[in-house]
Amino acid sequence: MSFLRIFLARVVGLLRNRRGADAELRAELEGHLEMEIAERVGRGMSPSDARRTALAASGGMTSAAESVREQRGLPLVESIASDVRFAARTLRRAPAFSLVAIATLAIGIGANTAIFSVVSGVLLHALPYADADRLMSLQSTINGSPTSVSPPDFADWRRSARSFTGMSAAYSSVTVLTGTGDATQLSQARVSANTFDVLGIRPIAGRAFLAGEDDISAPRVAVISERLWRTRFAGDSAIIGRVLTLDGFPTTIVGVAPSAMRWPERDDVWLTTRFTEKDLSQSSRGSRYIAVIARLAPNVTLASARNEMNAIARQLEAADPRHNTNVGTRVDPLLSSIVDDVRGPLFVLLGAVGFVLLIACANVGSLALGRLAAREPELAMRTALGASRGRIARQVLTESLLLAIIGGSLGLLFARYGIQMLVAFAPSDLPRRSEIRIDFSVVGFAFLATLLTALLFGVVPALHGGTSDLRTRLSSARGSFGRRSTARSRQALVVTEIALAIVLLTGAGLLLRSIAQLRNVDPGFRAKDVYTFSIGQLPRRYGTREQEMELTATLLDRIRHVPGVTAADVSFSLPLDGGGPQFTFTVQGRPEPDARNEPRAQARSAGPQYFTTMGIPLVRGRLFTDSDRGGAPGSGVLVISAELARRYFPNEDPIGKTIVTGWGGPGWPGQKFGGTIVGIVGDVRQRALDGNQLPHMYMPYAQWPINEYNVVIRSTAGAERTFAAARSILRELDRDIAMSDERSMTEIVDASMGRRHFYLMLLSAFAVVALLLAAIGVYGVIAYGVQQRRQEIGVRVTLGATHQRVLMMVLGDGLRLSVVGVAIGLAAAFALTRLLRGLLFGVAPTDLATFAAVPVVLLAAAIIACWIPARRAATIDPVEAIRGG
Amino acid sequence: MRGCVSNKLDVKQGTLALMILTTLESLGPLHGYGIARRIEETSGQRLVLNYGTLYPALLKLEQAGYIKPEWKASENNRRAKFYALTAAGRRQLARERKEWNETADLLSAFLAPRPT
Repeated sequence: MSFLRIFLARVVGLLRNRRGADAELRAELEGHLEMEIAERVGRGMSPSDARRTALAASGGMTSAAESVREQRGLPLVESIASDVRFAARTLRRAPAFSLVAIATLAIGIGANTAIFSVVSGVLLHALPYADADRLMSLQSTINGSPTSVSPPDFADWRRSARSFTGMSAAYSSVTVLTGTGDATQLSQARVSANTFDVLGIRPIAGRAFLAGEDDISAPRVAVISERLWRTRFAGDSAIIGRVLTLDGFPTTIVGVAPSAMRWPERDDVWLTTRFTEKDLSQSSRGSRYIAVIARLAPNVTLASARNEMNAIARQLEAADPRHNTNVGTRVDPLLSSIVDDVRGPLFVLLGAVGFVLLIACANVGSLALGRLAAREPELAMRTALGASRGRIARQVLTESLLLAIIGGSLGLLFARYGIQMLVAFAPSDLPRRSEIRIDFSVVGFAFLATLLTALLFGVVPALHGGTSDLRTRLSSARGSFGRRSTARSRQALVVTEIALAIVLLTGAGLLLRSIAQLRNVDPGFRAKDVYTFSIGQLPRRYGTREQEMELTATLLDRIRHVPGVTAADVSFSLPLDGGGPQFTFTVQGRPEPDARNEPRAQARSAGPQYFTTMGIPLVRGRLFTDSDRGGAPGSGVLVISAELARRYFPNEDPIGKTIVTGWGGPGWPGQKFGGTIVGIVGDVRQRALDGNQLPHMYMPYAQWPINEYNVVIRSTAGAERTFAAARSILRELDRDIAMSDERSMTEIVDASMGRRHFYLMLLSAFAVVALLLAAIGVYGVIAYGVQQRRQEIGVRVTLGATHQRVLMMVLGDGLRLSVVGVAIGLAAAFALTRLLRGLLFGVAPTDLATFAAVPVVLLAAAIIACWIPARRAATIDPVEAIRGG
Repeated sequence: MRGCVSNKLDVKQGTLALMILTTLESLGPLHGYGIARRIEETSGQRLVLNYGTLYPALLKLEQAGYIKPEWKASENNRRAKFYALTAAGRRQLARERKEWNETADLLSAFLAPRPT
């Protein structure tokens, strides 16, 4: 009780008028002394004796006053405050040092904070759903590799699994909204009716789907996104119950989803799955295109859910070996399934930027050591006046802390803008990009990084400041002791910096080589001068296939007449643009293969000019012609890729053979995709430049029309004019046709390398900063060495050393340090670059060229950094140096 | 805190506080000099209080609210700071006295020469 009271009184004492209290105390103590003296005089002492003995008995007025003062306030707080004030004065007196240190720390801490905000937003934050860690992603696996789920599998899972309280299917596509101004293409998700319940998302207006609304017999209803609601319908609550035309079908809007609803993507509109009987039939086992999520039931562990799903997969396998052999399941937390393939690279980046901070620390630590040596006389004086070692160490540490806090605050400011830039440059397929922001955890991280930084770079100088004893210090105020040990520490710090910089440079170098290798990969088509846009579903008034094809023919004919256009055609899906349908197929006249060996190929419907437009070469046979039209479904012609011929017709001529696929896919109900092979074309990279070559088959658009497609145009007129021409042609033709995704093929190729570019950009930036800091570090140490050795160098010159010799001597010092750092760094890089393996392409993690080039770059930078002090050393005037010290 | 050491006996902080409080209880408001004199006399000169021991202890008691200072004229017409026991100080003294007596009883029972 009284302890608390005393503490409060002391806090008050801390804030009270100190000078008044001191005067009062002095008066009180002097009064006491006077009374003592009076008493002694009364006993017969002489006044002077009385004063002397009274003073001796008092135990010292000053120290008594000091003791009272300590009791009055909170001495620790006061001495820290005075330390901080003193540190601020000291730093102000060395503005160059302070500015360099603060800037270095701000860059280090800022970069770390920015990268941490990405890691935090993408990897660490919970998904915006209720009890998000109970949400699981369920996938099928074929021979162990994960794949989407087919509707009949989903239906079976949902029927049998007991580990989940709800399971829901989803897949994305596009839809065209008409009847309200210009036709607009929207991103659309088809989901199970229980999806909002499984996620725990409540609509902000209207309702979510009702049970049974995902049945094919139920009326078409939709939930729209808050974004679409606000931008397109001005947030009007009358939207609920309104009937919109989506893909030509009247659809009733029943609800508005909050912006947190991001499943399966950040869609504009959610409709129900409404699977047909055909979709759910046995023959659709192989059409795997849906994503499945489920909520783990209470008291069920992930492991037991996995066991149950595996058991279900084995039952399905036993029931239908033809389709389900080697088909398994996979259950993962939803968050980890979303961010799985960026986790590794992001942690690599966090590690890399951590290295930058370490280098920054080493640099500032080295600077601080240099300054400490210069302050030797001052520290010696303070020791002589009674400052303890601990006290001086604390003072030095306080200075470091002050620097770090200023640097850290600036760094946080940097990070704010850095994050905006990061988000702007982040590839569009970086998951959860919109979650990246500065929040409490990011600020907390910056604060911790700041403290850690202060400790890291402050501890070595603090030890040096606190250890050397008074005598050596005073006697060495002008000599060289104390400096030798700080010089050692500084050299060690610089070696560390160089080693860390080598690791970063190597990582960046390997990524750079990977990108160069990727650029050398032949995509199989010529991207230059090819432009593309997509046409959403054609309005339903083009009800028949003939009407659709006629519209397409008119559109293409007009585009082909635009000046500069040399070829144009349509295609369903584009290479390097997120896959496309994959079909399993059989070759007529061969026995039916089992599920494991079933041939599969990327399938694409394309017009005759598609190949010339894209620059895909004909290998053998012929391309489509305008006469490849009509005929019964599945009895048309096909062009296959060289890889398909190699893989599935190794010893025979595929031309003339007939292929039949097992199914039609969601867009082709009741029909089978297939035909007779008439030609072989060159291979095209479908998914990624670094992916395997996949077999392809092409079907003529005229025999396999599609009501949403990409138009590809080869034109020398440039993007701007080509698209402008296409837009006006389309508007003349029909206002209800939505045109979107205007891109050049070059952009598509670049975007396919987007993440790698992003990682490369960041890693290179870190490496460049690291290189600069290391060079500054080398410069600092060497320049300081030259400064210290002025007299010695003067003597050498007097004794006949040539300028060149002095120059070489200083350069040699710098190079020796650098070579040690390079050696350590190469060893560390050798051990660490394997972490990059997933990001590399066509380059081994221990690529010899990179490991040879990096030291050259670093040594060159070191030589440049040493050159300036070396020049200065070589031009030292010996007389002045020896005389002036 | 500076050592509370006289050249004769150690004065422990807690005991010093108790001594000050009893002094003020028996003699009424008193200045620092008077308190020191009285404690030295009562101890038979075995204790000598220097300023650095006495005044921090007074301040601490003041902060705890057990004593209250007031500037008044002293016996020989000098202005001096007199300390007076507060109500809280009286309660504290009673409490401490009780505790001390109990402890002393207990300890003397332990330390009493044992019959062999």
